[in-house]
Amino acid sequence: MLALEHLGGVVVGKSKAGLLQGTLDMLILKALSLGPLHGYGVGQRIAQISDDTLKIEEGSLYPGLYRLERRGWIESEWDVSDNNQRAKFYKLTRSGRKQLIIEEQNWERLAGATMKALRAS
Amino acid sequence: MSRIKATVRFLHAWRHPDEIAREVEAELRFHIEMRARANIEGGMRPDQAQLAARQSFGDFDRVKTECCEISRSHPLDSTPFKMMLHITLAVLSGLAALWAVNVPHHNFTGVMRQLIAIAVLAYLFIVVRRAKSQRRSDTNQSLMSDMSDASSGKITAYDEQGRTPVERILKS
Repeated sequence: MLALEHLGGVVVGKSKAGLLQGTLDMLILKALSLGPLHGYGVGQRIAQISDDTLKIEEGSLYPGLYRLERRGWIESEWDVSDNNQRAKFYKLTRSGRKQLIIEEQNWERLAGATMKALRAS
Repeated sequence: MSRIKATVRFLHAWRHPDEIAREVEAELRFHIEMRARANIEGGMRPDQAQLAARQSFGDFDRVKTECCEISRSHPLDSTPFKMMLHITLAVLSGLAALWAVNVPHHNFTGVMRQLIAIAVLAYLFIVVRRAKSQRRSDTNQSLMSDMSDASSGKITAYDEQGRTPVERILKS
């Protein structure tokens, strides 16, 4: 099994299409909306902003990043990291910022509808 | 602009596949090294830290291959692009059909134009049918993928003892 299991956390894993991939894409875009990061940093930031509840399956993060870059929502460049090593940094593009807004709205609509369904008596 | 950059990157990936593979590998190795450092800071021995970092990363070669394939895939090969292509083809076909059907006389040229109209409309019909079946199969694939991911436990809240959050709360 490729999935990693973290203590008490929810692992967002690899998926070729659909809901899971959309969620992973949205989380990556959200992490990068706070500033440029390398791949490892993206995973750390997602864990941090979700209070360690959401942890990206480390290996699946990179195909996600490459997919988003191919769509033009993020762009990358090689730079030097804090520990003086060459690292590839990603940042959100203008179209990526717009996409994040769309994804957030979709997510809120979905979450709202699900809550409504669960509260129905 | 970002689309142009993505296209330039795609062309670069096609021209220099080895360079892209090296870049991907360097990026993934950097990740594992960062994870290993974090593990050492968390109190692990260096060899343990390295091993744990590799394990938590997953299948290195699979991820590397997948990233290289994505880099080489066409940036415009997306659903909106395909839809635009189909709409353009449909509009052009419709215009061609209108031109061909508008036959002034029943001579050889007129019959030929009617045949062209039939061919164009048949082509249009096939394009629309293909687009619809493609959309249906994409939706099915997406559903199947979600179902298989859910069944293989890729979204999980189990702890290391295999307990669900509810079981944890009940036993604590």
